[in-house]
Amino acid sequence: MGARRRLLWLALKMDFLTILTLGIYRFWMKTRLRRWYWSAIRPGGHPLEYLGDPFEKLLGFLIAVVILAFYVGIVNLLLVFASFSLFQSNTAAYVASFIGVIPLWFYASYRARRYVLGRTRWRGIRLGVDPGAWGYAGRALVHWAVTLISLGLLWPRMTFMLEKYRAERSWYGTARIEQGGSWTMLYRAALPVLPVLAMLAIAALCFFTGNIGTAIGIAVLAGAAGIYAAVHYNVVSWKMLMDHKSAAGLGLRANPSPLRVFGIYIVGYITTIIVVAIPAALLTLPLLALQTSSTGGSMELPFSASAISALPEAVLIALTALCYFALFLLWGALRHAFVTMPLLRHYAETLTITGADALKGISQRARDEFSEAEGFAEALDLGAAI
Amino acid sequence: MSTVIRVGTEPAAFVGEAAFFDGDKAVPQNATLTLDEEARELVIALAQSEHRWPLNKIREVPDQAGRDVMMLRLDGDPVQRLFLPNRTLAPRLPHRTRRAPVSRPGRIAAWAVAAVGAVAVIVLLLVPRLANQLADHIPPGGEHALGEVTLTQIRSALDQTGLQPVPFCTAAEGMAALDQLERRLTAGLDLPGPLSVHVLDHDMVNAFALPGGYIVLFRGLIDAAETPEEVAAVFAHEIGHVISRDPTRHALRSAGSIGVLGLIFGDFAGGALVLFLAERLIDATYARDAEEAADRFAHETLLAAALPPSAIGSFFERLLKENGEPEGIVAHFLSHPQMGDRIAAARDATPDNAVFRPALTDPEWNALRKICRQSARDVPSEPPKSGVGWR
Repeated sequence: MGARRRLLWLALKMDFLTILTLGIYRFWMKTRLRRWYWSAIRPGGHPLEYLGDPFEKLLGFLIAVVILAFYVGIVNLLLVFASFSLFQSNTAAYVASFIGVIPLWFYASYRARRYVLGRTRWRGIRLGVDPGAWGYAGRALVHWAVTLISLGLLWPRMTFMLEKYRAERSWYGTARIEQGGSWTMLYRAALPVLPVLAMLAIAALCFFTGNIGTAIGIAVLAGAAGIYAAVHYNVVSWKMLMDHKSAAGLGLRANPSPLRVFGIYIVGYITTIIVVAIPAALLTLPLLALQTSSTGGSMELPFSASAISALPEAVLIALTALCYFALFLLWGALRHAFVTMPLLRHYAETLTITGADALKGISQRARDEFSEAEGFAEALDLGAAI
Repeated sequence: MSTVIRVGTEPAAFVGEAAFFDGDKAVPQNATLTLDEEARELVIALAQSEHRWPLNKIREVPDQAGRDVMMLRLDGDPVQRLFLPNRTLAPRLPHRTRRAPVSRPGRIAAWAVAAVGAVAVIVLLLVPRLANQLADHIPPGGEHALGEVTLTQIRSALDQTGLQPVPFCTAAEGMAALDQLERRLTAGLDLPGPLSVHVLDHDMVNAFALPGGYIVLFRGLIDAAETPEEVAAVFAHEIGHVISRDPTRHALRSAGSIGVLGLIFGDFAGGALVLFLAERLIDATYARDAEEAADRFAHETLLAAALPPSAIGSFFERLLKENGEPEGIVAHFLSHPQMGDRIAAARDATPDNAVFRPALTDPEWNALRKICRQSARDVPSEPPKSGVGWR
């Protein structure tokens, strides 16, 4: 519990500085929080160490901005123009813009993983990932296409193949990680999907026979069961994939409980929402009252009115912005303390390393001079978990 | 952490155990730690060898979760680590918390300049230029749709309850009066398409034009006007913007720049930023020459319709005197450095001997002023406003 309080405090401080610096501090925040998380995981009594450099992250982000700004600015403008000209709506532009970003998204996620693992050490030995982000993006696109065409039936195949691609380019020191097992084993992880499908079928049946109320009730239940099934698949497939990884005689045994993970999500997010909602209500209600009662009290006035004459409105706006950011800050910090940390702790506690004798044969690998860090992932807002 | 009590001049002798990682093998080595006070070094005795770390070059790895342990590194050595099961050594390390210097600051600075430059070039140069080009080539249907989408965004952004967009005022007689005004102003004009004129049920003293011939007047503006001529003058100014397609250029420009700004500020403020920019669309500050062109257009159009251009000047001057607080379009008009010039220009454009016809008859003007009052009754699907501040 002491650890949770310290993490909460650390996260609050970092969030505050991030807001104060208009987002620039987020590179330091990520680095420091990761250092904390990594050091909290101590396989065999020795902590992991995270050596990511906030300046590298800043640099990578700047590089990504230079490249992406062109895409986002010019290409999106052209897309909006074409979409309105041809279809009289902006839907086509959104869809095209989204599709255009998908390969970049996979590319960025591989690079982010490469950076994070490349800056992780255990027992003084570096982990590492070989380059291969475009190869990963290409494979991910193909696997997603196949999965969609197969109506999701081949989803486990995608999970396995992509993990195999990533894992077999990963190293612990001089030991390369191998991914054993086969994609068909992951179907076991997907078993809870079956009752969900059955429930949906019953709901559909009720709907078409006129029992709308029953149909809605069953559909809601199916939705909840569906969320559990998704969590179950993620946890169990992760466990299976971990169990089948090896590196020069080292092995892993993972035993996370899907129910426990589901519970952490539910309890964690409910706690977070409640803790955020109380100050939110206390802060927002008087502000709203104040805002609506002031004559001509509309949000946009202060931006257009001259600064001298609009002082009370400017104060109002500042207060509103402050509340918004305060809640944002609280949300981020609480999520770390009540969701991310318990999750990580559960995964770490239930993970064991086998064949520790093999560690004697493993030695250092060269540093990955990959200094662009996770700039693209940062610019595209992915990997927000830690 | 235990307190170190020093007796006499010599600090207490230190002996401790630790795990040493040489950064080559993945195996910890048991180390016995002692202090060489003479040389001010930490002596790390291993089974076969010995390392000596100068005390002032030892750093602690920061942000560690374990408060009862210490991970030490040697400044200048990237891989060696010393993992201590307690913190008794901490007071003896003078530069324990000193940071590593920034590596390659020049490279970061260069990319920072490049990033700022690229964004500036794109947002300030490329996007506006491209938007200007595209605005001339967008087909009328597309332009109309662009205006419609933007109007919906603005109506949602203006709404403070978060429940529904700000409603339009649609009282039939008021609409007829507005049509009358529109016909009078646009007679003989070569418009690119039909105008869509709306009144928004909102307090703000404001008016704006959107792509595809949308002109939106706020109820606050009609309430604040004392004569229909004043409304007509604002109306004519907005028609000027429609004809020069300023709103289309502006909307396309923001379509390009919103994303770029969102990219830079990340998700933490992205949502707020987009909302803010949507609101900025309302008082789109066009370039000075665009405003002057719209003014000139308004003067000509008003004169051609036998209406006095000077109405806009007196309208804004009066509002300024009455409220002391310029709002909306007034502020927009007044904030312009050449505000005096523009009011004067409106006067100058009004010949002394000109003969004007009233913009609207008294009943028509009354109907226009009540355009919002009836809408709540006419459209029962909308719940009556109970919120404070909605007059």
